[in-house]
Amino acid sequence: MAILEVTGLNKSFSGTAVLSDVGFSLEKGESLAIIGSSGSGKTTLLRCLNFLELPDSGKISVAGETVFDSSDRSAVPERELRRRRLHFGLVFQSFNLFPQYTALENVTLAGRLLARENPGYPRRRAELFAEIDENARALLDSVGLISKLGAYPHELSGGQQQRVAIARALALSPDILCFDEPTSALDPELTGEVLRVIRSLASSHTTMVIVTHEMQFAREVSDKVIFIDGGAIVERGAPEDVFGNPRHERTKRFLERYSG
Amino acid sequence: MPLSTIAATLLRGFGTTCLIFIITLALAAPLGLVVSFGSMSRFAPLRILTRAFVWIIRGSPLMLQMIIIYYGPGLLWSGTALPRFSATITAFTINYAAYFSEIYRGGIEGVPRGQYEAGLVLGMTKTQIFFKITLLQVVKRILPPMSNEIITLVKDTSLARIIAVREIIMEAYSFMAKGLISPLFYAGVFYLIFNGVLQVIFGKAEKKLAYFR
Repeated sequence: MAILEVTGLNKSFSGTAVLSDVGFSLEKGESLAIIGSSGSGKTTLLRCLNFLELPDSGKISVAGETVFDSSDRSAVPERELRRRRLHFGLVFQSFNLFPQYTALENVTLAGRLLARENPGYPRRRAELFAEIDENARALLDSVGLISKLGAYPHELSGGQQQRVAIARALALSPDILCFDEPTSALDPELTGEVLRVIRSLASSHTTMVIVTHEMQFAREVSDKVIFIDGGAIVERGAPEDVFGNPRHERTKRFLERYSG
Repeated sequence: MPLSTIAATLLRGFGTTCLIFIITLALAAPLGLVVSFGSMSRFAPLRILTRAFVWIIRGSPLMLQMIIIYYGPGLLWSGTALPRFSATITAFTINYAAYFSEIYRGGIEGVPRGQYEAGLVLGMTKTQIFFKITLLQVVKRILPPMSNEIITLVKDTSLARIIAVREIIMEAYSFMAKGLISPLFYAGVFYLIFNGVLQVIFGKAEKKLAYFR
Protein backbone atom coordinates (compact mmCIF):
# COMPACT_ATOMS: atom_id res chain seq x y z
CA MET A 1 0.00 0.00 0.00
CA ALA A 2 1.22 3.48 -0.79
CA ILE A 3 2.39 5.47 2.23
CA LEU A 4 1.08 8.68 0.70
CA GLU A 5 -1.89 8.99 -1.61
CA VAL A 6 -3.01 12.37 -2.87
CA THR A 7 -6.05 12.64 -5.15
CA GLY A 8 -7.82 15.50 -6.87
CA LEU A 9 -6.23 18.29 -4.87
CA ASN A 10 -7.49 21.78 -5.76
CA LYS A 11 -6.63 25.06 -4.17
CA SER A 12 -7.23 28.62 -5.23
CA PHE A 13 -6.39 31.93 -3.62
CA SER A 14 -9.00 34.64 -4.16
CA GLY A 15 -10.19 33.16 -7.42
CA THR A 16 -6.81 32.19 -8.88
CA ALA A 17 -6.26 28.45 -9.15
CA VAL A 18 -2.93 27.53 -7.60
CA LEU A 19 -3.38 23.77 -7.65
CA SER A 20 -5.67 22.00 -10.06
CA ASP A 21 -6.48 18.34 -9.77
CA VAL A 22 -3.13 17.30 -8.36
CA GLY A 23 -2.77 13.63 -7.54
CA PHE A 24 0.14 11.29 -6.94
CA SER A 25 1.22 8.47 -4.70
CA LEU A 26 4.41 7.55 -2.97
CA GLU A 27 5.67 4.24 -1.63
CA LYS A 28 7.40 3.91 1.72
CA GLY A 29 11.12 4.62 1.44
CA GLU A 30 10.79 6.46 -1.86
CA SER A 31 11.69 10.03 -2.49
CA LEU A 32 9.72 12.26 -4.76
CA ALA A 33 11.16 15.40 -6.32
CA ILE A 34 8.78 18.15 -7.32
CA ILE A 35 10.16 20.57 -9.87
CA GLY A 36 8.68 23.56 -11.62
CA SER A 37 9.18 27.30 -11.92
CA SER A 38 8.48 29.75 -9.11
CA GLY A 39 4.79 30.30 -8.57
CA SER A 40 3.84 26.98 -10.16
CA GLY A 41 2.19 25.73 -6.97
CA LYS A 42 4.94 23.47 -5.60
CA THR A 43 5.16 25.17 -2.23
CA THR A 44 1.38 25.35 -1.89
CA LEU A 45 1.24 21.61 -2.47
CA LEU A 46 3.69 21.00 0.38
CA ARG A 47 1.81 23.42 2.62
CA CYS A 48 -1.41 21.52 1.92
CA LEU A 49 0.27 18.25 2.94
CA ASN A 50 1.34 19.88 6.21
CA PHE A 51 -2.08 21.44 6.83
CA LEU A 52 -0.68 24.96 6.65
CA GLU A 53 -3.17 25.52 3.85
CA LEU A 54 -6.57 23.92 3.57
CA PRO A 55 -7.20 22.48 0.09
CA ASP A 56 -10.53 23.45 -1.48
CA SER A 57 -11.11 19.89 -2.52
CA GLY A 58 -9.35 16.57 -2.70
CA LYS A 59 -8.18 13.78 -0.49
CA ILE A 60 -4.94 12.95 1.28
CA SER A 61 -4.26 9.64 2.95
CA VAL A 62 -1.25 8.31 4.77
CA ALA A 63 -0.74 4.54 4.99
CA GLY A 64 -4.42 4.01 4.25
CA GLU A 65 -5.64 6.48 6.86
CA THR A 66 -7.52 9.44 5.43
CA VAL A 67 -6.00 12.57 6.93
CA PHE A 68 -7.85 15.03 4.75
CA ASP A 69 -11.04 14.62 2.78
CA SER A 70 -12.87 17.66 1.48
CA SER A 71 -16.11 15.70 1.13
CA ASP A 72 -16.13 15.04 4.87
CA ARG A 73 -17.45 18.27 6.35
CA SER A 74 -17.27 17.25 10.01
CA ALA A 75 -14.94 19.42 12.05
CA VAL A 76 -11.68 17.85 13.13
CA PRO A 77 -10.78 18.55 16.78
CA GLU A 78 -7.46 20.33 17.26
CA ARG A 79 -5.88 17.41 19.05
CA GLU A 80 -6.69 15.09 16.17
CA LEU A 81 -5.46 17.63 13.63
CA ARG A 82 -2.15 17.84 15.48
CA ARG A 83 -1.85 14.06 15.50
CA ARG A 84 -2.46 13.91 11.74
CA ARG A 85 0.03 16.66 11.16
CA LEU A 86 2.74 14.58 12.77
CA HIS A 87 2.62 12.14 9.85
CA PHE A 88 4.51 14.87 8.03
CA GLY A 89 7.66 16.78 8.78
CA LEU A 90 8.54 20.00 7.01
CA VAL A 91 11.87 21.66 6.41
CA PHE A 92 11.34 25.29 5.43
CA GLN A 93 13.24 27.30 2.87
CA SER A 94 14.11 29.88 5.54
CA PHE A 95 14.89 27.30 8.29
CA ASN A 96 12.59 28.95 10.88
CA LEU A 97 14.66 27.80 13.82
CA PHE A 98 13.57 29.22 17.17
CA PRO A 99 16.16 31.93 17.88
CA GLN A 100 15.94 31.79 21.67
CA TYR A 101 16.81 28.10 21.84
CA THR A 102 20.10 26.30 21.27
CA ALA A 103 20.50 23.79 18.46
CA LEU A 104 19.81 20.95 20.89
CA GLU A 105 16.76 22.69 22.41
CA ASN A 106 15.37 23.38 18.94
CA VAL A 107 15.44 19.65 18.30
CA THR A 108 14.05 18.58 21.69
CA LEU A 109 11.38 21.26 22.28
CA ALA A 110 8.48 19.71 20.39
CA GLY A 111 9.25 16.22 21.69
CA ARG A 112 9.31 17.44 25.27
CA LEU A 113 5.96 19.19 24.82
CA LEU A 114 4.45 16.08 23.25
CA ALA A 115 5.77 13.96 26.09
CA ARG A 116 3.35 15.76 28.39
CA GLU A 117 0.53 13.96 26.62
CA ASN A 118 2.13 10.63 27.44
CA PRO A 119 -0.07 8.84 30.01
CA GLY A 120 2.85 8.23 32.38
CA TYR A 121 4.14 11.78 32.01
CA PRO A 122 4.72 13.34 35.40
CA ARG A 123 6.09 10.11 36.80
CA ARG A 124 8.30 9.16 33.86
CA ARG A 125 9.27 12.71 32.97
CA ALA A 126 13.01 12.34 33.58
CA GLU A 127 13.17 9.09 31.66
CA LEU A 128 11.16 10.45 28.69
CA PHE A 129 13.26 13.61 28.51
CA ALA A 130 16.46 11.59 28.62
CA GLU A 131 15.27 9.52 25.67
CA ILE A 132 14.32 12.65 23.72
CA ASP A 133 17.68 14.19 24.50
CA GLU A 134 19.61 11.15 23.45
CA ASN A 135 17.67 10.90 20.20
CA ALA A 136 18.27 14.60 19.48
CA ARG A 137 22.00 14.29 20.10
CA ALA A 138 22.18 11.29 17.77
CA LEU A 139 20.32 13.22 15.07
CA LEU A 140 22.51 16.30 15.40
CA ASP A 141 25.52 13.99 15.24
CA SER A 142 24.20 12.43 12.05
CA VAL A 143 23.91 15.84 10.39
CA GLY A 144 27.46 16.65 11.49
CA LEU A 145 26.66 19.13 14.26
CA ILE A 146 27.56 17.31 17.46
CA SER A 147 30.00 20.12 18.28
CA LYS A 148 27.25 22.75 17.95
CA LEU A 149 24.70 21.43 20.45
CA GLY A 150 24.84 24.56 22.59
CA ALA A 151 25.01 27.10 19.76
CA TYR A 152 22.17 29.53 19.14
CA PRO A 153 20.84 29.85 15.58
CA HIS A 154 22.47 33.25 14.99
CA GLU A 155 25.84 31.69 15.79
CA LEU A 156 25.40 29.13 13.01
CA SER A 157 25.87 29.47 9.26
CA GLY A 158 22.84 29.07 7.00
CA GLY A 159 23.87 25.54 6.09
CA GLN A 160 24.28 24.60 9.73
CA GLN A 161 20.92 26.13 10.59
CA GLN A 162 19.25 24.14 7.85
CA ARG A 163 20.88 20.96 9.12
CA VAL A 164 19.55 21.67 12.61
CA ALA A 165 16.12 22.20 11.02
CA ILE A 166 16.38 18.80 9.34
CA ALA A 167 17.30 17.17 12.66
CA ARG A 168 14.38 18.99 14.30
CA ALA A 169 11.94 17.64 11.71
CA LEU A 170 13.36 14.12 12.00
CA ALA A 171 13.11 14.15 15.80
CA LEU A 172 9.38 13.47 15.68
CA SER A 173 9.93 10.53 13.27
CA PRO A 174 7.47 11.68 10.61
CA ASP A 175 6.28 9.12 8.04
CA ILE A 176 7.00 11.58 5.27
CA LEU A 177 9.59 14.33 5.40
CA CYS A 178 8.93 17.34 3.19
CA PHE A 179 11.51 19.84 2.00
CA ASP A 180 10.50 23.23 0.65
CA GLU A 181 13.41 24.42 -1.48
CA PRO A 182 15.84 23.61 1.33
CA THR A 183 18.83 25.26 -0.31
CA SER A 184 17.24 28.30 -1.95
CA ALA A 185 18.07 30.62 0.93
CA LEU A 186 21.69 29.46 1.13
CA ASP A 187 24.87 30.83 -0.32
CA PRO A 188 25.98 28.55 -3.17
CA GLU A 189 28.99 27.26 -1.23
CA LEU A 190 26.71 26.10 1.60
CA THR A 191 24.21 24.09 -0.44
CA GLY A 192 26.53 21.09 -0.65
CA GLU A 193 26.44 20.26 3.05
CA VAL A 194 22.64 20.34 3.13
CA LEU A 195 22.26 18.30 -0.04
CA ARG A 196 24.70 15.75 1.38
CA VAL A 197 22.46 15.27 4.42
CA ILE A 198 19.36 14.82 2.25
CA ARG A 199 21.23 12.39 0.01
CA SER A 200 22.18 10.27 3.00
CA LEU A 201 18.55 10.29 4.14
CA ALA A 202 17.55 9.05 0.70
CA SER A 203 20.09 6.26 0.83
CA SER A 204 18.69 5.16 4.19
CA HIS A 205 15.22 5.11 2.60
CA THR A 206 13.57 7.99 4.38
CA THR A 207 10.29 8.75 2.64
CA MET A 208 10.63 12.27 1.29
CA VAL A 209 8.88 14.85 -0.82
CA ILE A 210 11.42 17.40 -2.02
CA VAL A 211 10.57 20.66 -3.74
CA THR A 212 13.78 21.88 -5.30
CA HIS A 213 15.42 23.99 -7.95
CA GLU A 214 18.57 21.86 -7.88
CA MET A 215 17.92 19.77 -10.99
CA GLN A 216 21.08 17.70 -10.83
CA PHE A 217 20.36 16.88 -7.21
CA ALA A 218 16.72 16.01 -7.94
CA ARG A 219 17.83 13.67 -10.66
CA GLU A 220 20.31 11.86 -8.41
CA VAL A 221 18.30 11.60 -5.26
CA SER A 222 14.73 10.92 -6.33
CA ASP A 223 12.89 7.77 -7.27
CA LYS A 224 10.08 9.74 -8.88
CA VAL A 225 9.85 13.20 -10.36
CA ILE A 226 6.83 15.42 -10.87
CA PHE A 227 6.95 18.53 -13.03
CA ILE A 228 4.31 21.08 -12.09
CA ASP A 229 3.36 24.03 -14.22
CA GLY A 230 0.49 26.43 -13.58
CA GLY A 231 -0.70 24.35 -10.64
CA ALA A 232 -1.12 21.12 -12.59
CA ILE A 233 1.10 18.09 -12.99
CA VAL A 234 2.42 18.20 -16.54
CA GLU A 235 4.78 15.28 -16.46
CA ARG A 236 5.72 12.53 -14.05
CA GLY A 237 7.96 9.52 -14.06
CA ALA A 238 11.35 8.12 -13.19
CA PRO A 239 14.11 10.74 -13.06
CA GLU A 240 15.90 9.23 -16.07
CA ASP A 241 12.76 9.68 -18.14
CA VAL A 242 11.68 13.12 -17.00
CA PHE A 243 15.15 14.61 -17.16
CA GLY A 244 16.62 12.46 -19.93
CA ASN A 245 13.69 12.18 -22.24
CA PRO A 246 10.90 14.62 -21.39
CA ARG A 247 7.74 14.08 -23.42
CA HIS A 248 6.07 17.43 -22.98
CA GLU A 249 7.08 20.65 -24.64
CA ARG A 250 6.68 22.61 -21.39
CA THR A 251 8.95 20.22 -19.49
CA LYS A 252 11.59 20.48 -22.20
CA ARG A 253 11.50 24.26 -22.14
CA PHE A 254 11.71 24.34 -18.36
CA LEU A 255 14.65 21.93 -18.24
CA GLU A 256 16.48 23.81 -20.97
CA ARG A 257 16.22 26.99 -19.00
CA TYR A 258 17.65 25.28 -15.93
CA SER A 259 20.48 23.44 -17.62
CA GLY A 260 21.47 26.59 -19.50
CA MET B 1 12.25 77.86 55.67
CA PRO B 2 13.95 74.77 57.11
CA LEU B 3 15.17 72.27 54.56
CA SER B 4 13.44 69.46 56.46
CA THR B 5 10.02 71.02 55.74
CA ILE B 6 10.81 71.25 52.07
CA ALA B 7 12.12 67.69 52.01
CA ALA B 8 9.07 66.31 53.82
CA THR B 9 6.68 68.12 51.46
CA LEU B 10 8.56 67.00 48.36
CA LEU B 11 8.75 63.41 49.61
CA ARG B 12 5.00 63.38 50.17
CA GLY B 13 4.50 64.63 46.62
CA PHE B 14 6.96 62.09 45.33
CA GLY B 15 4.96 59.36 47.08
CA THR B 16 1.88 60.42 45.10
CA THR B 17 3.94 60.54 41.90
CA CYS B 18 5.18 56.99 42.51
CA LEU B 19 1.66 55.79 43.27
CA ILE B 20 0.28 57.21 40.01
CA PHE B 21 3.19 55.63 38.14
CA ILE B 22 2.94 52.18 39.68
CA ILE B 23 -0.85 51.84 39.52
CA THR B 24 -0.99 53.12 35.93
CA LEU B 25 1.73 50.72 34.85
CA ALA B 26 0.11 47.76 36.61
CA LEU B 27 -3.27 48.45 34.99
CA ALA B 28 -2.26 49.74 31.56
CA ALA B 29 0.26 47.00 30.76
CA PRO B 30 -2.31 44.16 30.75
CA LEU B 31 -5.12 46.36 29.40
CA GLY B 32 -2.87 47.33 26.50
CA LEU B 33 -2.54 43.65 25.58
CA VAL B 34 -6.32 43.33 25.41
CA VAL B 35 -6.50 46.46 23.24
CA SER B 36 -3.75 45.14 20.95
CA PHE B 37 -5.69 41.88 20.43
CA GLY B 38 -8.69 44.03 19.52
CA SER B 39 -6.72 46.01 16.97
CA MET B 40 -5.39 42.79 15.41
CA SER B 41 -8.77 41.05 15.42
CA ARG B 42 -9.97 39.37 12.26
CA PHE B 43 -13.47 40.57 13.15
CA ALA B 44 -13.53 43.87 11.25
CA PRO B 45 -16.01 45.87 13.42
CA LEU B 46 -13.98 45.16 16.55
CA ARG B 47 -10.73 45.99 14.78
CA ILE B 48 -12.04 49.27 13.38
CA LEU B 49 -13.59 50.28 16.70
CA THR B 50 -10.39 49.52 18.60
CA ARG B 51 -8.24 51.40 16.14
CA ALA B 52 -10.58 54.40 16.31
CA PHE B 53 -10.29 54.30 20.10
CA VAL B 54 -6.48 54.22 19.87
CA TRP B 55 -6.55 57.11 17.42
CA ILE B 56 -8.69 59.27 19.70
CA ILE B 57 -6.64 58.52 22.80
CA ARG B 58 -3.26 58.96 21.16
CA GLY B 59 -4.41 61.86 19.05
CA SER B 60 -5.61 64.11 21.86
CA PRO B 61 -3.73 65.54 24.84
CA LEU B 62 -3.67 63.52 28.02
CA MET B 63 -4.39 66.76 29.86
CA LEU B 64 -7.65 67.15 27.98
CA GLN B 65 -8.60 63.54 28.70
CA MET B 66 -8.04 64.12 32.41
CA ILE B 67 -10.20 67.22 32.40
CA ILE B 68 -12.99 65.39 30.59
CA ILE B 69 -12.87 62.41 32.92
CA TYR B 70 -12.77 64.59 36.04
CA TYR B 71 -15.20 67.36 35.12
CA GLY B 72 -17.21 65.56 32.42
CA PRO B 73 -19.69 63.64 34.59
CA GLY B 74 -20.65 66.77 36.54
CA LEU B 75 -20.94 69.06 33.53
CA LEU B 76 -22.46 66.69 31.00
CA TRP B 77 -25.11 64.81 32.94
CA SER B 78 -24.80 66.23 36.45
CA GLY B 79 -23.28 63.00 37.64
CA THR B 80 -20.89 62.81 40.54
CA ALA B 81 -17.28 63.30 39.71
CA LEU B 82 -14.74 60.62 40.46
CA PRO B 83 -12.34 61.47 43.28
CA ARG B 84 -9.32 63.36 41.92
CA PHE B 85 -6.91 60.50 42.34
CA SER B 86 -9.21 57.91 40.74
CA ALA B 87 -9.89 60.23 37.82
CA THR B 88 -6.15 60.60 37.32
CA ILE B 89 -5.58 56.85 37.37
CA THR B 90 -8.49 56.27 34.98
CA ALA B 91 -7.23 58.80 32.45
CA PHE B 92 -3.63 57.61 32.69
CA THR B 93 -4.56 53.95 32.40
CA ILE B 94 -6.70 54.49 29.29
CA ASN B 95 -4.07 56.70 27.71
CA TYR B 96 -1.14 54.42 28.36
CA ALA B 97 -3.06 51.28 27.43
CA ALA B 98 -3.54 52.82 23.98
CA TYR B 99 0.17 53.55 23.61
CA PHE B 100 1.23 50.16 24.97
CA SER B 101 -1.21 48.38 22.67
CA GLU B 102 0.52 49.79 19.62
CA ILE B 103 3.91 48.72 20.95
CA TYR B 104 2.59 45.21 21.62
CA ARG B 105 1.00 45.05 18.18
CA GLY B 106 4.27 46.00 16.54
CA GLY B 107 6.09 43.38 18.62
CA ILE B 108 3.65 40.58 17.89
CA GLU B 109 3.35 41.36 14.18
CA GLY B 110 7.14 41.58 13.99
CA VAL B 111 7.62 37.91 14.83
CA PRO B 112 7.94 36.13 11.48
CA ARG B 113 4.97 33.96 10.56
CA GLY B 114 7.40 31.12 9.92
CA GLN B 115 7.97 30.81 13.66
CA TYR B 116 4.29 30.08 14.18
CA GLU B 117 4.20 27.67 11.24
CA ALA B 118 7.31 25.84 12.43
CA GLY B 119 5.54 25.32 15.77
CA LEU B 120 2.41 24.06 14.02
CA VAL B 121 4.18 21.48 11.87
CA LEU B 122 5.95 20.23 14.99
CA GLY B 123 2.56 19.42 16.49
CA MET B 124 2.44 22.22 19.05
CA THR B 125 -0.80 23.77 20.24
CA LYS B 126 -1.46 27.48 19.70
CA THR B 127 -0.98 28.10 23.41
CA GLN B 128 2.36 26.29 23.42
CA ILE B 129 3.48 28.27 20.39
CA PHE B 130 2.56 31.53 22.10
CA PHE B 131 4.27 30.80 25.40
CA LYS B 132 7.23 28.73 24.23
CA ILE B 133 8.12 30.48 20.99
CA THR B 134 6.45 33.83 20.36
CA LEU B 135 6.35 35.47 23.78
CA LEU B 136 10.06 35.86 24.48
CA GLN B 137 10.68 37.14 20.96
CA VAL B 138 7.93 39.71 21.47
CA VAL B 139 9.36 40.77 24.84
CA LYS B 140 12.77 41.27 23.28
CA ARG B 141 11.30 43.38 20.49
CA ILE B 142 9.16 45.61 22.68
CA LEU B 143 11.68 46.26 25.43
CA PRO B 144 13.30 49.38 23.90
CA PRO B 145 10.02 51.13 22.94
CA MET B 146 8.47 50.13 26.26
CA SER B 147 11.32 51.62 28.27
CA ASN B 148 10.86 54.84 26.30
CA GLU B 149 7.15 54.94 27.01
CA ILE B 150 7.55 54.09 30.69
CA ILE B 151 10.09 56.85 31.20
CA THR B 152 7.63 59.23 29.56
CA LEU B 153 4.99 58.01 32.00
CA VAL B 154 7.17 59.00 34.95
CA LYS B 155 7.27 62.56 33.68
CA ASP B 156 3.63 62.62 32.58
CA THR B 157 2.52 62.04 36.18
CA SER B 158 3.14 65.78 36.68
CA LEU B 159 0.02 66.43 34.60
CA ALA B 160 -2.06 65.27 37.57
CA ARG B 161 -1.75 68.73 39.10
CA ILE B 162 -4.22 69.97 36.46
CA ILE B 163 -6.97 68.47 38.62
CA ALA B 164 -5.14 69.32 41.86
CA VAL B 165 -3.63 65.97 42.68
CA ARG B 166 -0.70 66.92 44.87
CA GLU B 167 2.15 65.19 43.11
CA ILE B 168 5.73 66.38 43.44
CA ILE B 169 5.66 69.25 40.92
CA MET B 170 2.56 70.72 42.50
CA GLU B 171 4.15 70.53 45.94
CA ALA B 172 7.35 72.10 44.69
CA TYR B 173 5.44 74.80 42.88
CA SER B 174 3.60 75.74 46.08
CA PHE B 175 6.91 77.09 47.43
CA MET B 176 7.04 79.59 44.56
CA ALA B 177 4.38 81.68 46.31
CA LYS B 178 6.84 82.00 49.21
CA GLY B 179 9.56 83.11 46.84
CA LEU B 180 11.41 79.79 46.76
CA ILE B 181 12.38 78.33 43.41
CA SER B 182 14.90 75.74 44.60
CA PRO B 183 12.27 73.04 45.43
CA LEU B 184 11.44 72.82 41.72
CA PHE B 185 15.06 71.92 41.03
CA TYR B 186 15.02 69.37 43.82
CA ALA B 187 11.88 67.88 42.24
CA GLY B 188 13.79 67.61 38.99
CA VAL B 189 16.45 65.61 40.80
CA PHE B 190 13.80 63.14 42.03
CA TYR B 191 12.73 62.53 38.41
CA LEU B 192 16.31 62.09 37.28
CA ILE B 193 17.03 59.52 39.98
CA PHE B 194 13.79 57.64 39.32
CA ASN B 195 14.40 57.49 35.59
CA GLY B 196 18.04 56.64 36.16
CA VAL B 197 16.96 53.56 38.11
CA LEU B 198 14.49 52.60 35.38
CA GLN B 199 17.15 53.01 32.72
CA VAL B 200 19.48 50.66 34.59
CA ILE B 201 16.72 48.07 35.02
CA PHE B 202 15.77 48.17 31.34
CA GLY B 203 19.40 48.08 30.31
CA LYS B 204 19.88 44.90 32.35
CA ALA B 205 16.77 43.31 30.88
CA GLU B 206 17.89 44.08 27.33
CA LYS B 207 21.30 42.65 28.07
CA LYS B 208 19.72 39.53 29.46
CA LEU B 209 17.88 38.96 26.20
CA ALA B 210 20.87 39.77 24.03
CA TYR B 211 21.87 36.10 23.87
CA PHE B 212 19.61 35.55 20.87
CA ARG B 213 18.67 37.49 17.79
